[in-house]
Amino acid sequence: MKKRKFMALALSCVMVCSLAACGSKDTGASQPAPAPAPAEKTDDSANNDNNADSQTPADTSADASQAADITLWTYPVGSWGDAATVSGMIANFNAVYPDIHVTVEYLDYTNGDDQINTAIEGNQAPDLVLEGPERLVANWGAKGLMVDLGDLWTDEAKSLIYDSVQSACQSNDGVFYEYPLCMTAHTMAINRDIFEAAGALQYLDEETGTWTTENFQKAVQAVYDYGQTNVGAVYCSGQGGDQGTRALVNNLYGGTFTNAEHTQYTADSEENIKALELLKSMDGINFDASIAGGDEVNMFCNGTFAMAFCWNATQEKNNADQGNINFDVLPMAFPTESGTPQLCGGIWGFGIFDNGDPAKIAAAKTFIDFMANDEKQAVESVKASNFWPVKDLGNIYDGDALMSEYAKFIPYMGDYYQVVSGWAEARTAWWNMLQQVGSGTDVKTAVEEFAATANAAASAQ
Amino acid sequence: MAKNNSMSKALVRRETIAGYAFMLPSLIFFLGFVIYPMVQCVFTSFFDATMNREDIFVGFANYIELFQDKVFLGSLKNTVIIVVVSVPVTCIFSLWVSSVIYDLAGPACSAFRCIFYLPVVTGSVAVAVVWKWMFNNYYGIFNYIGTNTGLIEKNINWLGDERFALGCIILILLTTSVGQPIVLYVSALNNVDQSLVEAAEVDGATKFQCFWKIKWSQIMPTTLYILVITTINSFQCFALIQLLTSGGPNHSTDTIMYYIYYNAFKLYRYGYGNAMGVVLAIIIAVLSALQFKMAESK
Repeated sequence: MKKRKFMALALSCVMVCSLAACGSKDTGASQPAPAPAPAEKTDDSANNDNNADSQTPADTSADASQAADITLWTYPVGSWGDAATVSGMIANFNAVYPDIHVTVEYLDYTNGDDQINTAIEGNQAPDLVLEGPERLVANWGAKGLMVDLGDLWTDEAKSLIYDSVQSACQSNDGVFYEYPLCMTAHTMAINRDIFEAAGALQYLDEETGTWTTENFQKAVQAVYDYGQTNVGAVYCSGQGGDQGTRALVNNLYGGTFTNAEHTQYTADSEENIKALELLKSMDGINFDASIAGGDEVNMFCNGTFAMAFCWNATQEKNNADQGNINFDVLPMAFPTESGTPQLCGGIWGFGIFDNGDPAKIAAAKTFIDFMANDEKQAVESVKASNFWPVKDLGNIYDGDALMSEYAKFIPYMGDYYQVVSGWAEARTAWWNMLQQVGSGTDVKTAVEEFAATANAAASAQ
Repeated sequence: MAKNNSMSKALVRRETIAGYAFMLPSLIFFLGFVIYPMVQCVFTSFFDATMNREDIFVGFANYIELFQDKVFLGSLKNTVIIVVVSVPVTCIFSLWVSSVIYDLAGPACSAFRCIFYLPVVTGSVAVAVVWKWMFNNYYGIFNYIGTNTGLIEKNINWLGDERFALGCIILILLTTSVGQPIVLYVSALNNVDQSLVEAAEVDGATKFQCFWKIKWSQIMPTTLYILVITTINSFQCFALIQLLTSGGPNHSTDTIMYYIYYNAFKLYRYGYGNAMGVVLAIIIAVLSALQFKMAESK
């Protein structure tokens, strides 16, 4: 009898434990930040003294005795998705602010939004998030979930940060929901070896990385005639890398995606219709509904395509580092009639979720200020992203041939229209529209349907 | 005697309490993760609910909108096609495989069961990646074999062409669906009363007659279970769509589950998504009830 009682008790314990295990918070992906740096000087802390000296916190930042536990969720913005790199930067931060403990969770672009949305609904949103204005400003900011970062945007900050970035980081009514860290201009790229063999290099300006719409057509035809039947693909299986197809269509004849005020989708303009009709008619350009941007990049690297529309410096760096590229990559701006491309930009920075705790909000602002404004740390933070600073920090990539090569595209960065209302629905409608065009629907009909869907979504918000 | 009765009542009460105590963890889980979400789902479906805003009561407006939404109706049609094709094919194929392998020698039967069960225990992402590679428009194995053997003239964009995409999804779904029915059928066929089969054989019954008259009726409960489970799984087809086609091309692979996900998690239309969930649950419940009824009548 005693044995049975003991067994029953043991089984009950097992069940209770398993239930508790099921209910515990999943912290598997979390990377706890290092403990606060010790007060006494070690070699590391000595190295970090420069950080402390150069610290120029904004007025709102608390002093070094500030104490709080905050969470940072970061999308894979270059090495901001790498635990070792981020831990190193947090160690720098803790050398100055030992009592602010930062726990990091690493997101990916496939599930990241769902993870954050689930956390928001469960009142477990992170304190800090690193991403772009389309999420921080146009999505969560517009829904009233984010903290106004106006106090970080001091007059000095406004005078230093580029105007286009400033405008992207605020809502239509002027509230700043993002403090930016880095930016890039998305380009396209060609397989220089194939273009050279096909005699197509004559149609582009290698030095400036630009070409005209007419020369783009000639170059694609030359490569196609050379025997490379898959020159490029207007990929449209999903939203991954869709900035490439938008930039391609908008640039060919000078179309735009939205109006200047970001209140209306203008993709149904004559210029865009003409561009889509041109692409549909070109030999070697496939409208492919089975691949997205990431697939296109892989197929460009493995030689299936001779050009990629989803490209930037990080793509080349990562693929070269992994040994995926065995040909000469030539980054190019998207072809235009005017000769002045308008590249789709990427801006990344920090936003703070309003979790109702002033101490955490203050600590999060201190963290942002340190990462983005500290003289030494800001350079390290930007370099970790493999992109460019949003203000003049000098030539941070001095001696880096790859980054120097891509720097020439930054002046071509166009309007950051991703903050337009109804963005999530419009993105989906865009690749659905490309699929329709690819399967033979009349371009004008498909584009008008897209504009109607997107504008309805914009006016519904 | 009275003393004995009171003792047995105490014993019964103690055992009852112990029984409920053992059930409690599962009951809490069931109430918290099944019953509560179900009630919440039905409740929310009557509201215009979105993130960080008070819900607005809209009555049946979400349901009315559903049946005017072309994409939803297309998703419903695609889902029904998936169910109508995959459920009978899965059942017939797994019954055929099971009837061939169930009386093989132990290791051979186990080997077949492992082979067919492997896709079930392999993660959806891994399965999707491999199939995506095989269906690749440019260097996939199907196009390679097809063009080299002359079966097809030029490469087919299997997942990018609306004429083929849904068929490809159904094919993948079949490979991941047959494992469990095969294991269940093998087990059921082994449990068929051999004395009845032997008696029938002595009376001159053919193999087909033995199967149809004796084995089939004895494995009917298993068949019913397989039909219900396969129907539910087919209605809930989501991961393959999400990983391979995102509902495209031209909504040709949209399913109700994927459209629920899109509305709820991409557009934050929680009320509308919940209304779809309720409709899906009703369809599954009605079909399952019909299947039970048909099985009972046999």
